Order: sequence, then C-alpha cells, then structure tokens
Amino acid sequence: MTSTRRDLIKFGGGAAVGALLTPAPWRLVTDTALWSETWPGVPRVARGEIRARYTNCSLCPAGCPVRARCLGDQPVALFGVADHPFSHGTLCPFGLAGHHLPYHPQRLKQGPVEQAKAAVAEAIARCGAEERIAILDLRPGRTASWTYRRAAKQWKSGTYLAPHRILGGDAAVNLAAAKNVISVGAPLFDGWGTPGNVIAARDKFRLIQIEATESRTASLADTWVPVQPGDELQTARKFAQDLAAQGPTLVLDAGERSEILALNQTTGALGTAIVSRREAPVPDSWNQAAPESQLDALPDRSIRVLLIDESAAGSYIPWSRIEKKLVADNPVVVVFGSSADGYGRHAGFVLPTAVYPEAVDDIPPAVDSPVAMFRLSTSLVAAPAGLVNPAQFIAGFAGIDAANSLRERADAIHKAGRGNLFTYADAKSTPLKDVKADDFWKALNDGASWADEAPVRPAAPILALVASTANATEDDLPLAVLMAEAQPTPGSPILTKLYQESNLRLAANRIALHPSAAKSCGIADGGRAMLQTRCGKLEVQVTLDEGLPPGVVRVPAVPCTLDLCGTSPRAKVVRI
Amino acid sequence: MIGPNKNVKAARYGMTIDVDRCSGCGACMVACAVENNVPPAHANATDRTGLTWIRVYKIDNGLPYPETRSAYVPVMCQHCGNETPCAHVCPQQAVDVDPATGVVGEMPQRCLGCRYCIAACPYHARYFNWWDPAWPAGMEKALNPDVTPRMRGVVEKCNFCHGRWHAAKQQAAADGKPDTEPVSYTPACAEACPTKAIHFGDLNDPASLPAQAAKQGESFRMLEKLNTDTKIYYRSKRDWVRRIADAPHPAGTGKENQRG
Repeated sequence: MTSTRRDLIKFGGGAAVGALLTPAPWRLVTDTALWSETWPGVPRVARGEIRARYTNCSLCPAGCPVRARCLGDQPVALFGVADHPFSHGTLCPFGLAGHHLPYHPQRLKQGPVEQAKAAVAEAIARCGAEERIAILDLRPGRTASWTYRRAAKQWKSGTYLAPHRILGGDAAVNLAAAKNVISVGAPLFDGWGTPGNVIAARDKFRLIQIEATESRTASLADTWVPVQPGDELQTARKFAQDLAAQGPTLVLDAGERSEILALNQTTGALGTAIVSRREAPVPDSWNQAAPESQLDALPDRSIRVLLIDESAAGSYIPWSRIEKKLVADNPVVVVFGSSADGYGRHAGFVLPTAVYPEAVDDIPPAVDSPVAMFRLSTSLVAAPAGLVNPAQFIAGFAGIDAANSLRERADAIHKAGRGNLFTYADAKSTPLKDVKADDFWKALNDGASWADEAPVRPAAPILALVASTANATEDDLPLAVLMAEAQPTPGSPILTKLYQESNLRLAANRIALHPSAAKSCGIADGGRAMLQTRCGKLEVQVTLDEGLPPGVVRVPAVPCTLDLCGTSPRAKVVRI
Repeated sequence: MIGPNKNVKAARYGMTIDVDRCSGCGACMVACAVENNVPPAHANATDRTGLTWIRVYKIDNGLPYPETRSAYVPVMCQHCGNETPCAHVCPQQAVDVDPATGVVGEMPQRCLGCRYCIAACPYHARYFNWWDPAWPAGMEKALNPDVTPRMRGVVEKCNFCHGRWHAAKQQAAADGKPDTEPVSYTPACAEACPTKAIHFGDLNDPASLPAQAAKQGESFRMLEKLNTDTKIYYRSKRDWVRRIADAPHPAGTGKENQRG
C-alpha cells in the first residue's frame, strides 16, 4: 500500500475535524480564560501597611467626620466615625467616594495663574469710584471667608458677597426640639443638613412633606401632600395653623423663601426649633472686616473685578444674576475651582484649587447644628504642584498674611475656652478648658471637632421678614421646573453607578417628564430634546417618570441647568 | 462545588432589608463599588450593561399621580440556598455554594463568559464585564488592596464582601478562636447604609437581627414561589410592596392564580 499526498491531506483534515469532537479545544478555551487573568487591562492592586487616618468631609457644610482606611498614605476607603455624637457614623454616597476626587478626569491641575494675577492687579489699579472689587464666597462662615472679608475691607471699594440664606448662618435649626416638621420641598433625607443627625432625630418628629413630586424625602415622610407647583406655601399655611397647637412645629423650605419665617413665628418654632447660633470665636484683629453683602443689593454694572471662590461647594447663584452686576467694558472674573464646569464656563480665568481630601480647610457648622462648630478637613493626599490657594491669592492683593489663619482661629477658640473637643481616634469628649493650645491644634489636624457649649436658654434669632418676589406667568412655557436634589460637580467617577449604570438619580444631561407630557412633545423615553427657558436652551435626554405630575419637568441641579432654570421657573421641551 | 466539612459549624449568612427605611440614596451601591473594586462605567455603558453588584430599584404602586406611592428596593445576589439556578447552569463550575457560609460564590478565573447564569438568575443580580476594567489615571492607587479586579469577559456579582469575610477569619485566627466557628463581619452595603435599613448576620444564629426579622410577619423574600430559599429577607408594612416582590401577573391576563 502506498500513501499519496492526497491521503496525507485527508488524514490531516480528518484529524483536525476529529479533534474538534474531543474535549481538548474546549479545555483550551478554559485555559484561555485563565490566561486572560493577567491581561494588561486589569490593574494590579497595591500592597502595604493598612492604617486609619481621620479627617472631616468638606464636600458640603455637613462636614461629617471621616475615618479613612489608608494603604500607606493613600486612602482606599472612607467611613463615618461611628461614635460621633452628631453625625452618628453616617456618610452620604458622595462622601463615601470622596477620596476619588483628585483623580477625576475633568479635574483642573493647571491654570493661567500669572496672567490672572496681572489682570487683577491692573483692574484694581484702574477701578473707578463707582466700581467695585467683589469676592463671592459660596460657602461663608469659614476661616477663608474671614480672610476675604478682611481683604475686602482693605480695598476702598471692596465688597464681600455670599449667597442669600435665612437659616445656616446666625440662625440654625434644632431638629431635636421639633415635634412636627412641615417641609416645603426641603430635601431632608437627601442633602439637607447633617445626614446622621437628621436620621437620628427622625423618629422623634412627624414629617409632612409638601411637594409636587414624591421625592426621596416624601417617600419616607409620614404624610406626603402632592400639590401643584406654586401652591406649596398656601398648603403649608393650612398645615401650620392646624399643627401649631400640638407643639413646636418647624416649617422648612427648599428655596428659603421669607414667608416661611412668618409661618415659623405662627407655629412657635422661633426660639425653640429655630435658634440663634453664635459663630466660632475669631482673633480680635479680624473683627475689622467687611460685612457680608448680598448680590442683589449691589447696583447693576458696578463690579469691575469679581473673584469667585468655588473651591468649597455651596449655594449656586445663577450666572444671569451675576452677569448683570458686572461692568459692561471688560470686567475681570477669576474663578477658583477644581473644574471648569461651574462658573468657570463664564470666567476669564479659571485657577485650579486643591480638592477634598487634598485641601486644608475648615467647615462651618451645618444648618441643623444649633451650636457653633470648628473642624478641619486635613490633607490626606498630597496636592499636585501648580494649584492655587484662593484665600492666599486674594490676601496677597490686600497685603494680608493668611498663611496661618486656621491656627490663629484655633488659638482664638482655645482662648475663649468654651465647649468640648471630640477626638475621633479614641471617641473621647474633653472640655476645651482642659486641653492645651498646642494639643488642641494637633487634635484638630489628627481628626477632631470642637463644638460650642449649648446656651442655657436658646434665643430666637432676629430675622428680617421680606416678601419674596412673585414669579411672572409665562404662558408660552407650559412646564413648571422642579429641581432635583443637588449633586456635587464633579463627583467621584464611581458615581456612574447612580447616574449612568442605574437610573437611581437624574444624570446631569437628563430631564424627567411625565409620559403624557413627553407624548405631547413627541418625545420617547431616552429621546433627545431641547430644554428652553427665558435664559436660554440646553440639549438634554428625556427620561419618562410616571411619578411626576404632567405639567412639570424635573431637571438636575447642576450649574448648567441652574443657570438656565434658576431664575426662570418655567420651561418648554422641544424634540430635536 | 466545595464539599461539606462535618467539623465546621456552618453559618448561613443573610440579610434583612427594611424597605420602609430605605431612602434610595445609593450609598450602598457606592460603598459596594469602592469595597469590591467595581470600575466606573465605560462611556458606552447603560443601566443594562453597567456593573452594580447591588442595585437600588425604584418601584411604585402602579396608580396614577397623585395616588402614586413609591419605594426603593436594594437588590443584590439573593444567595439561593435551594437549587441555586446559576450554579446549576454553569458549564464551568465557576459558581459554587459554600457549605460553610451559604454564600454563593463566583470564580472569575473559571468563568467562560457564556452568561448562562445571567439568563438563569431570576433576580437579575449578575453582571457581565463587557469592557476591560478601567479607572481614571492615578485612581488605581485608591483600589481596595483586598480585592482583585476582574477581567473583561467574565460574570461577577455580590459575594457578601468575601474580602471582609477573609479579614474576619484572619482576625479570628489571630485572636485564637477556633477555625470551625462562624465569624462575625459586616459587608460594605450594610455598614454604609445611613438609615440602617440593611442588617447582616448569621441566619443560623437565632439571636442575629436577620434571623429574628425573618420570622416577622412583615418579612418577605423575592419570588418566594420559586422556592430557591434565598437569604435576603425584605421587610415592609406596605401590602403593595410585598405583592410586587412576588411578581404577580398583571391583572386581567388570566394568569393571576397560576404558579410561576
């Protein structure tokens, strides 16, 4: 028998086909999966010593105490401090992932610092008699805020601006003293006050949520009262009258309208659930500082130089309200922030700042803290080179030395000798008078908070009752705008779990409509549309939500939508 | 599958989730992702292709506005104890039920990526890695050193924070406790929940909160009619929430009384 080349080919082909019917190729597939374990696409985790470090979260005024699980010096996870008497170990989803912020792709690390310095110096030099140098501080009450006020005092036409707030400054809320809480859309369980304190106090008061949509707070309220947008105050008035006889009834408002104060007077909350709060002591030399002013009090076209500190997030003022206060010819606007998504979109110069947990800053007490607090957000991660410290930048123009201002304030608090120091590592509370000044400063840097002593008899705050301006009816804009809960921008990249990989929260580029409202506009779920208001328009994606009333559009509270809808409460949605 | 060991006192780890206390904040989802090194979303990821070992769903009573009432339900792997569907269908034996803990584990090294388990899971609690895991530059430093990131092409899911269980076992050994005893630990979601809606414990321990909550009348499990003996017990005083957990057929289809 002779073998031909054809036989050899037949044998080879048959062997190949036969091999497919054996387990061998399937085993190879499995092994391929094993090899894929070492693909370069999979990052390797670091190894090293694990230790705990403590700080305070500075993402919002709640300033929750934080225990950072660190690999060497690098935080790899954040937790609350369980024994803290005010926060009760709670962190919100944004705080839980705060250690990712330095790595956000949109984070600014470089900026035109020298050009900005030159432009500000030149503008200050040619500032006219009727023109102003203004500093807008989005989170007043910090030590940096005092630096701004001191700097503004140095300039003849200096002005210190802060967002309008009824509660959270000299007046604070004492939830523990409230028997009933009527909330006019205030997001009690979603960003209002200190999360741990609100949850701890929750079982002691009855919550009535008056709101057009069933928000997270409404879903946990004892009673949710659905109302048409615009009818909230009238409904709140009715409930306030009914509940006033049942004990201290606190009325809270999402928008902090002045009418709410009158309601709190009616219900007896002023002096019980709303109390006067003194500020943490400051050095005597700082008392010669400019007062806090509101943007609306300034004449139009009067600001020549505007310096905006956006590094500490706070209430966002729509740009249209700011813009009309700037001089018409070439104003200088400098924004200090970690991204260009906020006021940076409108500014001439955006200077990069450190972010939590790189930045060293103090956090003023939250709206629900009836006593003053002083706590530091210390640096857990080294900040990259090229960043700007806004307080020192501004102090430099005013000839003030602000490098040690935090230490100076800590010394002033220690000198006053009031209150208690709570240290996180050992969960120990010590009267401040028993702590030495250096130990106090060291404790603050190692993770601690100082709380002022509570007054023997809480005082009612003196608040001006000013009528709110009614919004004009805009018939051609059929939808009432409802703002979703505030969200930090930029947040951790991992927050895609909430905004993109699930629909738990409304993403920055999305709006929500009732299916019937969307149908009338010809828009399907996930369709593209243009959101239009008096202030402009924005391309968005539409999400359908049957829980919304038909006549409203729910928009995320991010800078671009706040600019668009912040001063215009009505909108229309057009399919594109 | 891991063989049972007669000398080991078996635990049956489980959870109780109070739906009436859940505010839908998403802290559990974020804490889970941080703990288990679940990467941020790929640019093309959606709610159908994303990776969320625990996902909070918003449900409602189906009534039109303003009678609509909603609730938030965190859903993760329910750790089926009976006829575990995903383990049965896996051709690679990449899914096992640990007899010492009752935890349904997933071994990405064995996973072929066929996604039979995703199709078999009645709770939609399994997720596929459609893309290479990627973090923004520098963020790899912030990964949890106790958990290895998974590669593209494999399925992953909740394992009750296996890394924390290991750490608890190590701590117990260091403390001189016998290796055969169950250890006490808390998964990231339960630790992070601000409203304390999630509690974790050993269902075999009558003193544990989940074991006690499981016996209450307000407790229910997802799709109980499937008889998979899940270890996640939910609680709600609202009838409509409990009804939804059993996934009834819509009224009027004639299938209301049929099983499955």
